[in-house]
Amino acid sequence: MTTAAIPTNEFVRFAKFFLQELKPRGKWLTPFNVISIPVIFVGLIILYFRFTQGLGSVTNLSQQYPFGFWIGFDVMTGVALAGGAYVICFVVYVLRLEKYHSILKVTILNGLLAYIFYSGALLLDLGRPWHIINPIIGNSFGYNSVLFLVAWHFLLYTGALFLEFSPTIAEWAHWERLRKFLTSLTLGTVIVGITLSMLHQSGIGAMFLMAKPKIHPLWYSEYIPLLYFVSSIFGGLAMVIFEGTISSKVFSNLIGAKTHHSHEDIILGLAKGAAIAMFVYYFFLAFIFMHGEKWNLINTSWGYWYLVEVIGFVLIPCFMFAYGVRNRRFGVIKFAAIMTVLGVILNRQNVCLIAYNWYVVDKYYPSWQEITVTLMVVFVEIWVFRWIVTRMSVFSKE
Amino acid sequence: MDRRQFLIASATVAAGGIPNNNLKADSAIEPKEFVGVLVDTTRCIGCRSCEVACSETHNNYVPDIKSDNALEQIRDTSDKQFTVVNRFKTAKGEVFVKKQCLHCWQPACAAACLVNAMLKTKEGPVTWDGDKCMGCRFCMISCPFDIPKFEYSGWNPRIMKCNMCYERLQEGKKPACVESCPTDTLMFGQKRELMEIARHRVYSHPDKYVHHIYGENEAGGAGWLYLSAVPFDQIGFRTDLGTTPYPEYTREFLISIPLIEFGVPAFLLALNMLTDRKDDVREDDEWTKPGADK
Amino acid sequence: MEYYSYVNIFETKGLAYLLLLSFLVLGVLLIRYLSGPERKDSARGKKTSATGG
Repeated sequence: MTTAAIPTNEFVRFAKFFLQELKPRGKWLTPFNVISIPVIFVGLIILYFRFTQGLGSVTNLSQQYPFGFWIGFDVMTGVALAGGAYVICFVVYVLRLEKYHSILKVTILNGLLAYIFYSGALLLDLGRPWHIINPIIGNSFGYNSVLFLVAWHFLLYTGALFLEFSPTIAEWAHWERLRKFLTSLTLGTVIVGITLSMLHQSGIGAMFLMAKPKIHPLWYSEYIPLLYFVSSIFGGLAMVIFEGTISSKVFSNLIGAKTHHSHEDIILGLAKGAAIAMFVYYFFLAFIFMHGEKWNLINTSWGYWYLVEVIGFVLIPCFMFAYGVRNRRFGVIKFAAIMTVLGVILNRQNVCLIAYNWYVVDKYYPSWQEITVTLMVVFVEIWVFRWIVTRMSVFSKE
Repeated sequence: MDRRQFLIASATVAAGGIPNNNLKADSAIEPKEFVGVLVDTTRCIGCRSCEVACSETHNNYVPDIKSDNALEQIRDTSDKQFTVVNRFKTAKGEVFVKKQCLHCWQPACAAACLVNAMLKTKEGPVTWDGDKCMGCRFCMISCPFDIPKFEYSGWNPRIMKCNMCYERLQEGKKPACVESCPTDTLMFGQKRELMEIARHRVYSHPDKYVHHIYGENEAGGAGWLYLSAVPFDQIGFRTDLGTTPYPEYTREFLISIPLIEFGVPAFLLALNMLTDRKDDVREDDEWTKPGADK
Repeated sequence: MEYYSYVNIFETKGLAYLLLLSFLVLGVLLIRYLSGPERKDSARGKKTSATGG
């Protein structure tokens, strides 16, 4: 064969293989499909109106609330909950704790899909999304902007996650040499990825530093970036526990016996890490509260809401994790994981929507269209996740 | 050239350089400084000609100042009007206040904009460039005065705010509102001159004015300055914004970025190498061999 | 600054040090709690192998 024919042959083979893989497996009328398909369909219609008639036609955004549910939930929260990817990579590749190796690929995949879809959701929220190439191609770099850093780090980190996941794709496509090459890049990619994560997780918080007069003093401090970074650690870990619990049931046929067996040890380890991270976070909050002398703000309705978030959704899940680890109570751990995820969601919503412009009379509530489009993004992400894990070796077959 | 000639030549050049350095120090005060507008609210009669002139210049919504009762309620600038005049009922009677972008010295919006669509021009006005703007609305989050407004109802939305008639300034004209004001409420000029005029007015009529020039130091200082007969919080101004320029709030974070980008990879690589077990001495191998401890 | 009166910017420093101390103490307790019940089993295991073997 001539050297020109080999790539062409390979391309043809792969194209046939890919088309074959696109065919659906499994039943069509699962509960998830029945719910998600109409939501996706309605979401697409809403997007048609959004792009032809402007953001105001489908959202409740206003001049006082420029960031709404799409940014507040999809971007601010979704990215925090995808923090499991860099934490597990740190644990496996830097600290070399092989115990967590079996959940590495699925966590990276979840992180990759989260970043792709939530960056995509961001495009839906931009007023002029076609100008997103401006900060990328260099025609106008706003170096002084925190958002510039966040945008670039999102982009680079998505690339890093893709590189980390690419050996699995190469293996699926039977490109062995490429897979070996990509695997050799892993340590460097992981180190870069962890650094990028630290900066953009805290960067998302840093975006609110200039909004000081507009955010309620119980939620504003100069330490918001640090708090956002730490909450992305335990939010990510809680999400890994939560998603792992679901995956191990839904995709249990794809997971080997040994991995199923080690699942419990992994959960205990993750819960331990989450408990410690939340303990540290709680002390950060206590220090910031004390340093800002915010005592007299507690005895207000905002103060009570703050206590609900900080005690109910940070301190209590922290204790629950610790109790669950010590006594090997997995139900307690799973419940704590859900509460932790809700706590991270709550904290992000508070800073950017609820405690933002807290003195304004016309409050913002997400419209049903905003909620539907968000659900659509999540459902499409799950569809893609399902397609990938049923065809590529994401779960360990041992 | 021998050594003596070389030394003389060097000394001459050095001596010639010294006065040049002094000249540089003198010209550190740029002849061209930021421009701004002084708004003396004790002179404003609420005719709203400025609203009309502004909207006509920028093809915005022109209010019908004869018959709309807009002064009945307190309005904000909007995606249809760069400026509005509000009426406040105070102990010293009715006070009319023109509201628009204050063109801060260190604008939060320009620091926030990741594509430099919001730009502090070297003349002073803060302008918006539609060719660059992505519509992310981060400028709206960052502005302590909540000035930028967004066209939520369009498929190609703009950020709407006063740009101090930058195009007119380039042609040597004054902003449209200043030109249209019949009572000298608005005065255009360099901030340095406006500050002196404002201080002069306050010192000359200490009972007529509150002893404060709003915009002198608020949020690090602004191009638009206000004088008032009553405390500023009674006429719709926020007085809790501090004097720190808002971009300063992000400075520590932005400065720490290179430190993290250099330090963390090094630290992680070190951890990775420290936890490498390949070369570790294995207990059952080396130490139990006879003579291993010699 | 609009006012010309003394403001102690280190007002809460003493409390901050106390908070740090409690963080260290409680932190050690937390780590011990999380690693808890295993110690007894491994200790028992060592004892039996030492005495038995």
